[in-house]
Amino acid sequence: MSAAALNRDANRDADPGAPAALVRVEGVRRVYRRAGEGLVVLDGLDLEMERGGFFALMGPSGSGKTTLLNLIGGLDRPDGGEIYVDGEALSGLSDGELAAWRADTVGFIFQGFNLMPVLTAQQNVELPLLLTNLSRRERREHARHALSLVGLADRAKHRPRQLSGGQEQRVAIARALVSDPLLILADEPTGDLDRVSADQVLGLLSRLSKEFGKTILMVTHDPRAAEAAGSVVNLDKGRLRGIERRARTPVREPG
Amino acid sequence: MPWSLLWRHLLARPLRSLLTLGSLSIAFFLVCFLRSVVGALEAGVEAASQTRLIVQSAVSLFVNLPTSYQSKIEGAVGVASSCKLQWFGGYYQDPSNFFAQFAVDADRLLDIYPEIRLVDGDEPSFLRRRDACLIGADLATSFGWSVGDSIPIIGGLYTRVDGTPWQFYVAGTYRSTSPNVDGRTLWFHYEYLEQSLETGAAEGPQGAGVFVLSLDRGTDPTLVMGAIDGMFENGPQRVQTTTESEFQRQFVSMLGSVPTLLGSIGGGVLFAILLATLNTMLMAGRERTRSMGILKALGFKDRILFGLLIGESLVLCLLGGLAGVGVALATSKPLAGFFDGFGITGYGIDLGTAAFGLALAIAVGLFAGFAPAWTAARLRVVTALGAEH
Repeated sequence: MSAAALNRDANRDADPGAPAALVRVEGVRRVYRRAGEGLVVLDGLDLEMERGGFFALMGPSGSGKTTLLNLIGGLDRPDGGEIYVDGEALSGLSDGELAAWRADTVGFIFQGFNLMPVLTAQQNVELPLLLTNLSRRERREHARHALSLVGLADRAKHRPRQLSGGQEQRVAIARALVSDPLLILADEPTGDLDRVSADQVLGLLSRLSKEFGKTILMVTHDPRAAEAAGSVVNLDKGRLRGIERRARTPVREPG
Repeated sequence: MPWSLLWRHLLARPLRSLLTLGSLSIAFFLVCFLRSVVGALEAGVEAASQTRLIVQSAVSLFVNLPTSYQSKIEGAVGVASSCKLQWFGGYYQDPSNFFAQFAVDADRLLDIYPEIRLVDGDEPSFLRRRDACLIGADLATSFGWSVGDSIPIIGGLYTRVDGTPWQFYVAGTYRSTSPNVDGRTLWFHYEYLEQSLETGAAEGPQGAGVFVLSLDRGTDPTLVMGAIDGMFENGPQRVQTTTESEFQRQFVSMLGSVPTLLGSIGGGVLFAILLATLNTMLMAGRERTRSMGILKALGFKDRILFGLLIGESLVLCLLGGLAGVGVALATSKPLAGFFDGFGITGYGIDLGTAAFGLALAIAVGLFAGFAPAWTAARLRVVTALGAEH
């Protein structure tokens, strides 16, 4: 993976045929059934996210942030409404097609890192590439490059339990960007980290958005983390309360 | 298919994988072993001659017949030749060195049993000396005996009054061309036994255990059996005449329902290992719920995850199967020698049994892996990601 490859989104911006918004959420509704009762988590939500934007998704617990993130990432399906990503309606995809779409389009970063404990950092980063036609050597090169981008080239052979929380999350970021996805979805990526590690992670996400034109949606409770984003989407009780556009606060990357 | 993940999952808990592998190996070894024992028990029956007849006491195989019966039996229409066969029950040096010995009419043995092919020594040497014997080539190899040796056998059923062992001169070694004739037997002159008893040099039961008959070509065995049984209907001892195959069948059935029992044990072993492997795989599946969720989130399709778990189960069972079948093959020869000592010839792990063991391993692997693999494939990504490590 090269820096040029990572600029795919930026190039797409120049494509006059590409939709202006990378993500369009139209009247999305999600209801969870619990003990025979329906719990409305998202209630006819509409949202647009332009290409290359860095969005922080905020709101109180239970407001539907993670549910929305899962729906946009194709990990879950809505009960109503439609989600378009790069013009593709997700409801039209079968489970298998949705899996292939995820592999091609989305990079995930989770609060609990979600690295495979039996694999080394490099092997974890290589995982998404197992679904491509790249040779073993090419996969290794891409994984090494992604690890060097997050400053962990020297930790390639370490297993997750041999890394700190911040390092684990940086490996997860490397895994999320190694397949050069259009969209990076991060669910409270700094939630389990100390301030220093959190700033490193936010700095990386900011860099991915600014330098490589990646579209990022980050769920967070932390107002300081939200400051790294260019837009803050506020949710409450499954509804959009507003989008706050702001000038990004540069995040100082320690070390 | 990310095969590297399959191996890494197997190696993630090396002790558990190793213990499961050990259990599987033992189970598949036992399955192959028991199948071969049952096969060996039945092979003697199947290979036994339909035209060779056995005359025994109608009361029991353990009751001897008077030797005077032999000439009357030979008078029956269709009987070509007869040979006394008397169990000797001795051993060499130690009771653990047990093998079959029979006192026979030496001059008739090779006619009655053409399956016995001399590989060393010759028949005239065997006939010339009263204390001469023929021994199986494998038996000779086991004890380091060769033609010309004098071997001491301690009597079991027949003891010498002076307490010394019986001495037998090895006149020849043989190989058997059929599983119904044991390749590790010692055959010696009935005359030697009889004279020792008559002179008071030895003690033991008089008479002959059975008479083995060969028939003239084209003779209906049923008629001969009826005629011989009829001869002694009112005699001092009634006889029972059967074909050799029927005699072998009775001998096997004398072991009780051993083949059935062995088959049941094999089935039980298989069922137990099936449950154990299923349990291991279910545990593995549960532990990997979150990992499966991660893979799904990254875009791995359900069928790949299904393949990963069922592949893991298959690899585990196949490795266990290969190890078990391997041990069964490696121990085939020594175990064959062990069973020969008990008159059970033809033990061996053939290709069919090895293939049967491996096919079972595949079946167990598929069965044990299916449930966790199916569960993993059907898992919702969001639910799986929420699972504890």
